[in-house]
This record gives sequence, structure tokens and C-alpha cells, in this order.
Amino acid sequence: MDIQLKRGLLDICVLSAIKGEDSYGYQIIKDIKPFVEISESTLYPILRRLETADLLTVRTAEHNGRLRKYYHITELGLKRIEDFKFEWQEIVSIYNFVTREEEK
Amino acid sequence: MNKREFLEALQKLLGGLPEEDIQKSLEFYSEMIDDRIEEGFSEQEAVAAIGDPTKIAKEILADIPIAKLVKQKIKPKRRMSALEIVLLVLGSPIWLSLFITLFAVVLSIYVVLWSVIISLYSVAAAFVACAVGGAVSGIVFISLGKGAVGTFMLGAGILCLGLGILMFIGCNTIVKGIVWLSRKIWLFIKSCFVKGEVK
Repeated sequence: MDIQLKRGLLDICVLSAIKGEDSYGYQIIKDIKPFVEISESTLYPILRRLETADLLTVRTAEHNGRLRKYYHITELGLKRIEDFKFEWQEIVSIYNFVTREEEK
Repeated sequence: MNKREFLEALQKLLGGLPEEDIQKSLEFYSEMIDDRIEEGFSEQEAVAAIGDPTKIAKEILADIPIAKLVKQKIKPKRRMSALEIVLLVLGSPIWLSLFITLFAVVLSIYVVLWSVIISLYSVAAAFVACAVGGAVSGIVFISLGKGAVGTFMLGAGILCLGLGILMFIGCNTIVKGIVWLSRKIWLFIKSCFVKGEVK
């Protein structure tokens, strides 16, 4: 898949993974992996980018005597997911247009 | 490789980055390894699953804006002495002009490259124009009854069209190559600001 496109889609995947409740790095990877290929080295820049863009916030909490970072989605992050769903409709209709000839 | 070795390798590779970025990256990867160990992986397995530190360092680097890297690099480790400041100011005619020259050279290389591309595309466009001209004049000659000349013009037109298309494909390949090359060069310039030689 086109790298730029995949990057953008993974952003949405990560936001979606923390939508229900706050989550941490490894859990996010485990949640996404059955659907899309994602690795630690891909996730890290995404999390930083989303944090800079105020789509999520980070808090540090203790877990088993060590520190773990939990990611919390912001209002802006939730809006991003909704925007994506809307944009997807547009992509679907583009896809339908592109494939219309093949069906004939 | 165990966790400590992995983190040390990563820290070394990220050498020239701002302290805050190094710290955050190390915390992230350390947490990732710990979480895997907690799930039952051995330390070695957990580290292996994370991947090669060189590749990871490269991805972290690619994501940090170059302005930040440059700022970090030129930030003096200590306050400059009065003498150093005087020398820096007195030397400015030399280093400043060298810097401008370097910038101008890089810029002119780019201008030359793009000029070449533009002229190649122009040639391709000219071929296509010839093809149109050939076709039109061919038809005109044939309709005037000069079959031989007309056929020749038509043939020449088709030849030009073929050349034009080939030219166009070639140009596209060259442009792609240049875009790819400039990305590489950009990453190389960035890596110059990092001690660990990330390439």
C-alpha cells in the first residue's frame, strides 16, 4: 500500500484502539495486529505525532513496580475518527467509480 | 541481545538528538520489552521482537524535524567566552560566505537538474507537435493527389509520435529517480547531525 496512505490509516487505527478506554503501547499493538500489520517502530512515531497534534494525551502510571504510559483520546481525536468515517464514504464512491468499467 | 544492551545501543545511535527525544524513545522501548516479558516472553525473545536498533533509530530520526536537529547541534555546550564571540564575529566574512556558497552550489545543482528535465520534456512535446504536423500535412498532400509525399509525411509523423512517447516515458523515470535521490540526500543531511551515524 502507498506509504503516505498507510500512515494516515494507521493514525486512525491507533486512535480507535484507545477510543473505548485508555490503553498502553503493547496493548495497542496487540489490538491492531489482527487487522493491520504494525510494529513498535511504526507505532512510536505515530503516538508522538498524535500527541503533538493534540489528538491524544499521555499519562504515566505505575504498573507492577515500573512505569507505563497510558494514552487517552481527546475530543479532537474522537472528531478525527468521525471525520474519517465520513471521508471513507467519499473513498467508497471513488472506488465505485473507478471499478464501474470492469463490471461491464 | 538483552534489554540493557538494546537500550544502550539505541541510546548510542540517537547520540546527537535532543535529550528529551532520546529519553522518550528509550522509555517507550523499555516499556515495550517489559510488557512482552510480563506476558511470558524471555528477555532475549522480547528484544528480538522489537527489531534492529539501527532501523528503529532511523525511523525516530526521520520523524524529527530538521530544524530541531540543527538547533540542537549548534547549541553550545557551555557559554561562549568573549574571545570566542569576537572571533566568531570577525570570522563571519569567511564562514558566512562559505555557508552561502555551499547553499548556492546546492541550489544551482537543483536548478540545473530541473532545467535538464524541463528541456527533455520540451523535446518530447516537440516530437508530439511534429507528429501532429506530419499527420495534417500528410493528409493534405494525399488529398491533393501527391500520394508519395503524403505517405512520407504521415510516416514521419508516426515516427515522431513514437519518439515523443519514448522520450516522455524516459523523462518520467528520470524525475522519479531524482525525487528518490533527493529524499536520500535529505536523510543523509539529517544523519550528519547525529553522532551515531544512522544511514
